[in-house]
Amino acid sequence: MNKGVLNGLRVLDFTWMLAGPYATRILADFGAEVIKVQCSKTARGAESDLTGYFNTWNRNKRGITLDMSYPEAREIALKLTAKSDVVIENFSPRVMSNWGLEYENLKEVKRDLIMVSISAMGQTGPWRDFVAYGPTIQALSGLTYLTSFSQNPPMGLGYSYSDVIAGLYAALAVLAALEYRDRTGKGQYVDISEYEAMCTLMGPAILDAYLNNNEILPKGNDADHIPAAPYGCYRCLGMDRWCVIAVFNEAEWQALSNVMGHPSWSTDEKFSSLSKRKAYADELDELLGQWTGRYTSEELVSLLQETGVPAGVVQNAEDIAKDPQLRARDYFMKLEHPALGMVTSDASPIKFSDSVTADWKAAPLLGEDNRYVYMELLGMTESELSSYIEKGVIG
Amino acid sequence: MEVKENKDVLLTGIKVLDLADEKASFCPKLLADMGASVIKVERPGGDPSRDIGPFWKNSPHPEKSLFFQYNNANKRGITLDLEKGLGREIFLKLVNKTDIVVETFPPGYLKDLGLGFEALSEVNPRLILLSVTGFGKDGPRSKYKSCDLVASAFGGSLCVSGSSSTPPLKPFGEQSHYTASLFGAIAILLALRKRTQSGKGEHIDISMQEAVASTLDHVMVRYFYDRVIPERQGSLHWDSSFCISPCKDGYLLLTLFQQWETLIELMDSEDMAEDLVEESWRDEEYRLRHADHIIEVLERWTKTHTTDELFKLGQLMRFPWAPVQSPREVLESPHLKARNFFVDMDYPQIGTSIKCPGSPYKFSSGFLNRRKRAPLIGEDNISVYRNELGLSDEELQRLSSMHVI
Repeated sequence: MNKGVLNGLRVLDFTWMLAGPYATRILADFGAEVIKVQCSKTARGAESDLTGYFNTWNRNKRGITLDMSYPEAREIALKLTAKSDVVIENFSPRVMSNWGLEYENLKEVKRDLIMVSISAMGQTGPWRDFVAYGPTIQALSGLTYLTSFSQNPPMGLGYSYSDVIAGLYAALAVLAALEYRDRTGKGQYVDISEYEAMCTLMGPAILDAYLNNNEILPKGNDADHIPAAPYGCYRCLGMDRWCVIAVFNEAEWQALSNVMGHPSWSTDEKFSSLSKRKAYADELDELLGQWTGRYTSEELVSLLQETGVPAGVVQNAEDIAKDPQLRARDYFMKLEHPALGMVTSDASPIKFSDSVTADWKAAPLLGEDNRYVYMELLGMTESELSSYIEKGVIG
Repeated sequence: MEVKENKDVLLTGIKVLDLADEKASFCPKLLADMGASVIKVERPGGDPSRDIGPFWKNSPHPEKSLFFQYNNANKRGITLDLEKGLGREIFLKLVNKTDIVVETFPPGYLKDLGLGFEALSEVNPRLILLSVTGFGKDGPRSKYKSCDLVASAFGGSLCVSGSSSTPPLKPFGEQSHYTASLFGAIAILLALRKRTQSGKGEHIDISMQEAVASTLDHVMVRYFYDRVIPERQGSLHWDSSFCISPCKDGYLLLTLFQQWETLIELMDSEDMAEDLVEESWRDEEYRLRHADHIIEVLERWTKTHTTDELFKLGQLMRFPWAPVQSPREVLESPHLKARNFFVDMDYPQIGTSIKCPGSPYKFSSGFLNRRKRAPLIGEDNISVYRNELGLSDEELQRLSSMHVI
C-alpha cells in the first residue's frame, strides 16, 4: 500500500474477475491496505497472478491464500475481519453464507464493520441466483438493445462495461459508508446489484418508456435527443479510420462550412437551421461523409477543433496508448512485475494536486503476503503457519 | 421545495454547489441521493442541458426534459449570472458556505471570471472544486470542444463497438458523462477524507476522455500485454464467449462454449444439435476455430423458442443467458419490482407521480431511497438567497430586475 489518503484503512478483499477487483483497486490506489484472498485451486483464468488482466486490476494490493473449504479457514477469516475496516466480495449470493461469513457473523467480531456485496442481481429478489457476466447485464439493462443500428439484430458494446460501473458504485458505497461510520460510529451492510447499477445509467430512456407511449428504438450514432446536427461518425482516409463530428449551434455550423470551403450544398435551404438539419440528417451525413473521406481523421479533427467545431478521432487501443494528450497528463504508468517485467497500465483518472504513483506496486503473486498477514497481523508463529500450509488451509 | 433534513443519512451535512451541465450533473445527483444538500446553480433562463430530450409528451420544453429531470432529482435550484459582477459577489458568498463546487465550464473560464480555484480557496480554504472537462485542464488538447460523442471517440469506446461492416458505434445515452460523474463522486469523497486530515480543500480535474478510457475492460490490457488492437465484431463478445441469437419473439444473449456437454444435451433432446454432437466438437480449440458454425446451429435452435423459454431454461442450467431487453421490458422486470428498484417521484408539472430508477445499492442504514423531482428554473431563489444568505426582499428585487438571478 502507498501513502495515499486512505492510508490506515484495511480492506479484506474476497473479490474476483472485474467488478470487485476494479472497486478495490481504487481503494488500493489511494492508500488502503487491500488484502486480496485467493485460493490456489481457483486462481485460474482472470484470477491467475501471471496474467496481464490480473496484474492490471489488482495492483497495489496485498495477496494471501486461504482455502475456504477447510473449517479452520473460517476462523482465520474471522480473525482477519476483526482487524479490517471493510470486507468486500462479489460472489454469487449463496457463497459467503455457505462459508459462514455473512454480515451477521462478521459484525460479531467487528462491531462497526462495513461489508459490501456486489452481485449480478442483488442479494434479494426472484432472480438473485441467476448467473450473469457483464454482457448478460448489458443485455438485461437495455444498453445492448439501444447500442445498435437497428432492432434486427441488436449489437451492444464490445466490452464488459457494466462490471466497471458496478465497481465504481462499490467504491463510492465504501467511501460513503466510511463517512457515515466516522460520523455515527455505525458500520453497515451494502447490497449492490450490477443489474440495477447498469439501469441507473439508462435513466432518461426508462423515464421515456414510462411516461411517453413511445416505442424506443435503437438509433445507432444518430443524435436523436441531442440538439445537434450534423452529429455522427464519418469515414476518413485510410484503413478503417473514422472521425466524429457534432455541431450544436449556428456558429459551429458556419465554422464547419468554412473549413469545407462552403460547398454549394452547405447553403441549401434545407440545412439552414438546426431543426432543418436534424430533419434532413441522413442526407447531410451522406454529403459530409463524402468530404471527410478526403482527409485523415487526425488532420480533419485538428482543422475542425481549431475553428471551434466539436470533433474527435475514433481512437483504437494503439492510438490511445500513444495519445499525446493522455501522455502529457501521465494517464499511463509503468510498474515492474517480478514475472511479467515492466508493464504499462492506466494510472487513475482521479488525480490530486499532490498525487504520486512512485510508490505504487504491481499485483501480488499468489500468496505473496502470507507471512506478513498471518504472522505480523494475526500473530501466528512460524510453525503454525507451516502447519496450515501443510494441511492446505493456507494454500 | 425544501428537502426534509434527516441527520442520520450517509452524507448529511455535506453541501454542494452544482454548476454542471450535462457533462457532470449526474455527479452531484449521486451525492444528493446519499443525503448531501445540493443546490443547482443555473444561469438565468436555465441550464442548456434542459434542451436535451427525451421530453414529456415528446414536446421540447425546458421544464419537461426527462434527461434533466433524471439527472437533477433531489437537488434544489437557483439562478445566478456569473458573468455579472454582482452575480460573482453572491457566488462567493455561497462558496463560503459550501463544501464542494462541481463545474463543467471550459478550462480557464472560471479563472477568467476571477473565480479560479485560488480565488475560491481564498474565500473558503476548505473548498473542494471538481472540474469535469472533455480532456482535462492541461495538455495539448485541453482547449478542444467535447461532448459525449467526442469523448467516446477519443476515449476508445467507439472503436470496439459496432461491426466490421458498420461505422464504429457509440454506447447509448451519455455514458461518458455518467462515467466521469462516477469518478468525480469518488474523487469528492476521497478529497473530503483528505480534507479531514489536512484541513485544506482540493482542485480535482477529471477528463471525460480519461474516464472513458478507464472503462474499457480488456481493450488496453490486451494491447499492452499482447500487442492486440481489438476490433469491432458486432454482437460477438471479444473472446467469442457470447453471441446474440434470434428467437421467435426477440433476441437472446447466449454463451457459445460454456458447459458444452450440457448445451449439446439440451439441443439434442430437441433434435436440434445437428453435427455438434460429433466428437470433434468436444475439443475447445476446435470450437473456437469454428465458432461461426456453432452460431449457425444455435440460431436454428433458438429460433424455435421464445426468449423467455430459453432465459428460464438457460438459467436453470446455470448458463449466463439473458434476453436483449428494451427499456419497457426493464420497467416491467419482476426482479427489479421485487427489489423496489423504482421509486415514486412527484411530478406536479404533469399532475402525477412517476416511477424513477432508484439507486443500485441497499445500505442497511443511513440511506433513504427517495426522489424529489428536479428543481424548476430558479425555484429555490427565495429560500436560498433570503433565508440562507440573508438578502432582503429589495435586494432580491434588484438582482432580479438586473437579470443577475
